[in-house]
Amino acid sequence: MVEGVRVQYQEELERLEASALGGLDMVSAALDRTLEAIQHQDVELAQIVVADDDRIDGRYLEVHQSLITLLATQSPVATDLRLISALLHVLKNIERMGDQCVNVCKMIPLSGNEPPADQEMVKLILSMGKQTRTLISQAKRAFAERDVEMARDLVRQDDVVDNLNRECFRLALEIGDDADKREWAMTMLLAARAIERIGDNAVDIGEQVAFVVTGLFREFEDASHPTA
Amino acid sequence: MTQDDSAQTGRDTREAAAARAGIAVRPEEFQRKRFSGEREKVFELKGVDVLYSGVTAVKGISMDIHRNDVTALIGPSGCGKSTLLRCLNRMNDLIPTAEVKGELLYHGENLYGPTVDPVQARKLIGMVFQKPNPFPKSIYDNVAFGPRILGRKEGLEETVEKALKGAALWDEVKDRLKDNAFGLSGGQQQRLCIARCIAVQPDVILMDEPCSALDPISTGKIEDLMIELKEEFSIVIVTHNMQQAARVSDRTAFLMVELDADEQNRWGRLVEYDETEKIFTNPADKRTEDYVSGKVG
Repeated sequence: MVEGVRVQYQEELERLEASALGGLDMVSAALDRTLEAIQHQDVELAQIVVADDDRIDGRYLEVHQSLITLLATQSPVATDLRLISALLHVLKNIERMGDQCVNVCKMIPLSGNEPPADQEMVKLILSMGKQTRTLISQAKRAFAERDVEMARDLVRQDDVVDNLNRECFRLALEIGDDADKREWAMTMLLAARAIERIGDNAVDIGEQVAFVVTGLFREFEDASHPTA
Repeated sequence: MTQDDSAQTGRDTREAAAARAGIAVRPEEFQRKRFSGEREKVFELKGVDVLYSGVTAVKGISMDIHRNDVTALIGPSGCGKSTLLRCLNRMNDLIPTAEVKGELLYHGENLYGPTVDPVQARKLIGMVFQKPNPFPKSIYDNVAFGPRILGRKEGLEETVEKALKGAALWDEVKDRLKDNAFGLSGGQQQRLCIARCIAVQPDVILMDEPCSALDPISTGKIEDLMIELKEEFSIVIVTHNMQQAARVSDRTAFLMVELDADEQNRWGRLVEYDETEKIFTNPADKRTEDYVSGKVG
């Protein structure tokens, strides 16, 4: 409940934040379906994910437009300005996460209904997906609670996803000489890469949490200048 | 320095005016600071209190105002912004009960020192008011008024033209300089007042809500003008329009009203003074944040 002056503006800003973060729930649902489609090689479910991405895009466009209107009409400054700037970033990340689910789902029909699947690799990708889903929930909570420590912890959680991705790569190298199997492994590597990128998007959202709270934007980890 | 010497450049004129005002401005000090890259302080306020009839209006203001900056004073009504602005050119002297305590240095010299002539000081530190106040004279005579009083009659036409150009008004009035100034629009009148102010080559221009009576187009012109004028002058502006402070100023001071324990007495207090960008994106004080976000008035 907002008290004081400019109540409608404050309520609108709160509504838009909730709506933007609600986009993360939509991404979680899309990721769940994507993982299920991979697990069961479910081409139909994959097509539903592709079609449903319009909902995520719609949320992106709707909240983005409303935030631009707030910028134009309310001249937000200080924390409100940082919040709006951060939400615009978060929305872009959400839209990208949705697109990554689509990328994965578009690959599923390529390998056919009964692919020469390597169960160990499927298991690894499902673990990656599960861990990424945790990251998405944690990013959402860190943003809603403005918890910088929780946001920073996303880097640690993302390392788990990165390691699993590397493990997938190793398995693909050792998959054998069968051409069909190698083609399947290649497709799955692209899927693993897409899921790994979703994890990175969650970390980016965490960086926006730190920006809203402190006013300073710093990448938690600089990919071009790694520390370790 | 003689009158003739002082007519050569704005800088010389200012130094001559400073000498007349009883303010010992040291040219070598000006030069040293100009080339050393050190930010030159126009005003240094150290624990300044202003009282009217013994009642405190603003309390304990300490801040430095830098040369060639636009410095904005913002805050809710009654927080002492205009009072503080008026201290900077001894305008409060005109109110018999007003009293200024603490230290207020102008280029390192005490502005309230016994040798300082406030009338001369105001020629160095000009003021533009909320409502345009042209004299009931022609456009030309309005601008020529100050230089004539100062005896700078030589090259008067050039001075008037330069001032009108400086105030971005020349093109609009060059063909009707002999017309009455009251025939100008509100925005033009305000720019005429700015031209009148800069015609005497001041060092500082104080502006007390200069755009509050103007439409957005005229406001935009005055704001553009402020950014041009700061190349030559230092500007201190009081504004209620937060976005204006954000658009034009380099540094912003936020003042607010403080009450004593039994809520009987109230006075203005400086809450935060920083780079404008910092004030509007990441202020250090919660009270500044609430004010600039419009959450409190």
